Amino acid sequence: MSSGRVDAERVARVTVSLRGWERDPQRSLCAQSAAILDVAGVGVALLSGGQPMGSVCASDTVTGKVEEVQYTLGEGPAVDACHEREPVLAPDLAEVTGRWPGFCNGALAAGIRAASGFPLLVGAICIGSLNLYQTAPGPLREEQHADALAVAHVVGRMVLGWQSLAPAGEVAWQLEQVPSHRASVHQATGMIAAQTRATIDDALSLLRAYAFAESRSISDVAGDVVGRRLRFGEGGPLIDLA
Amino acid sequence: MARETLILRTFVALADTLVDDYDVIDFLQGLAENCVALLDVTAAGIMLADAKGSLRHAACSSEQMRLVELLELQLEQGPCFEAFRTAKPVVSTSRDDAQARWPQFAPRVFEAGFASVSAVPMRLRSNVVGALNLFSSGVTALEDPDLELAQAMADVATIGILQEQAIRSSQAYSSQLEAALDSRVVIEQAKGMLAEKLGVDVDEAFALLRRYARDHNRLLSVVARQIIAGELQPGALHGDRTHQPQQNRR
Repeated sequence: MSSGRVDAERVARVTVSLRGWERDPQRSLCAQSAAILDVAGVGVALLSGGQPMGSVCASDTVTGKVEEVQYTLGEGPAVDACHEREPVLAPDLAEVTGRWPGFCNGALAAGIRAASGFPLLVGAICIGSLNLYQTAPGPLREEQHADALAVAHVVGRMVLGWQSLAPAGEVAWQLEQVPSHRASVHQATGMIAAQTRATIDDALSLLRAYAFAESRSISDVAGDVVGRRLRFGEGGPLIDLA
Repeated sequence: MARETLILRTFVALADTLVDDYDVIDFLQGLAENCVALLDVTAAGIMLADAKGSLRHAACSSEQMRLVELLELQLEQGPCFEAFRTAKPVVSTSRDDAQARWPQFAPRVFEAGFASVSAVPMRLRSNVVGALNLFSSGVTALEDPDLELAQAMADVATIGILQEQAIRSSQAYSSQLEAALDSRVVIEQAKGMLAEKLGVDVDEAFALLRRYARDHNRLLSVVARQIIAGELQPGALHGDRTHQPQQNRR
């Protein structure tokens, strides 16, 4: 199957053209990848245990927003690509049926028409996803697809290369944005668990569901919870203190 | 199949190991068989060093070769050992030469029907991972360009093996990354839970968490997990605060 094969020559080329990432990964990794792949936006998300942990980088603000939608809902090409260990392609988000209703709406509202996720596979493990976004509908060209496989291959190894140099128990500084950007989400989750006596996982689901129902980003809602402008009641109903 | 085509195919297969998940033993088995097809040799075998640096049998083109290699391992002498130790190709030019170099091993090799023996190291820069044994029933010693081709195949195979080893340690790094991310998550969750239950802000909750972990000589993430799991009551953290000589700091 053509979709899964990484081309050695492309890997070599991508590795060369992406030198210099090391110094400023957050700014250049996604922007340079978007230039190589000739797409509107590129995001790199990390996943742990099949759950999105947040983005290492996004090439621009629109991409950042769409990455946020995937994270808020815990659904989209990134999650599925990691789960299926295969590229997941959505050439027209307006035509997708039955899959990621929330993600499709959010991405379309941000002006994105096509999205795809390429798993960051290292050996048997998927550590994240390379996400491509396009403003016009249509499949990736063969070239783009092959290059995306190569970029995902290189990025996966690069991420682990960074992590291999990190002090024990810590996240590599290049990846620091992933946990720190989401701190308020996890704090809010802990608060909601205490407010509702739900488990942590259920508390996160409550937060997600609320953000989705209100068409807001999860970070936004989490900010309200931590700022004590919003609390969740034990019986389920939400009490807005604002 | 034409020799050139076969050489090309062998190298493409070798290069594939750079980008694919592959089975090392399968791959080495193929390499041994291709050596017999491409070079003027009767049998080929590959030995790889284990974590302690001792050679182990990995793959070979025939059962007879396997027995000879096992014997070589037992006697700890022979071309494979020499190539591995010196990181240079080893070519025995005659029976007498072989007899003089490996007095115990050589007679057994001749008994098995081989007349000339050679080996090339599997190396990448200073890293020697093993050696490729090439035995022939004819008396002609292996020479260039066959020797060169054998070394080139061994070199590319080495890159594949080293990459595979790197990927295996990558799995350790990906678990480390996952653990580091998870502990950050659980610490933030515990901060939120404490803030809510104790009616403090998240910074104060973190200070309490850290103080408790320090006082009890436990990892922050371990204490955080206990709080999330309900094994440690938030009040316990608050209570500890009074025991701290807070005023004496500075």
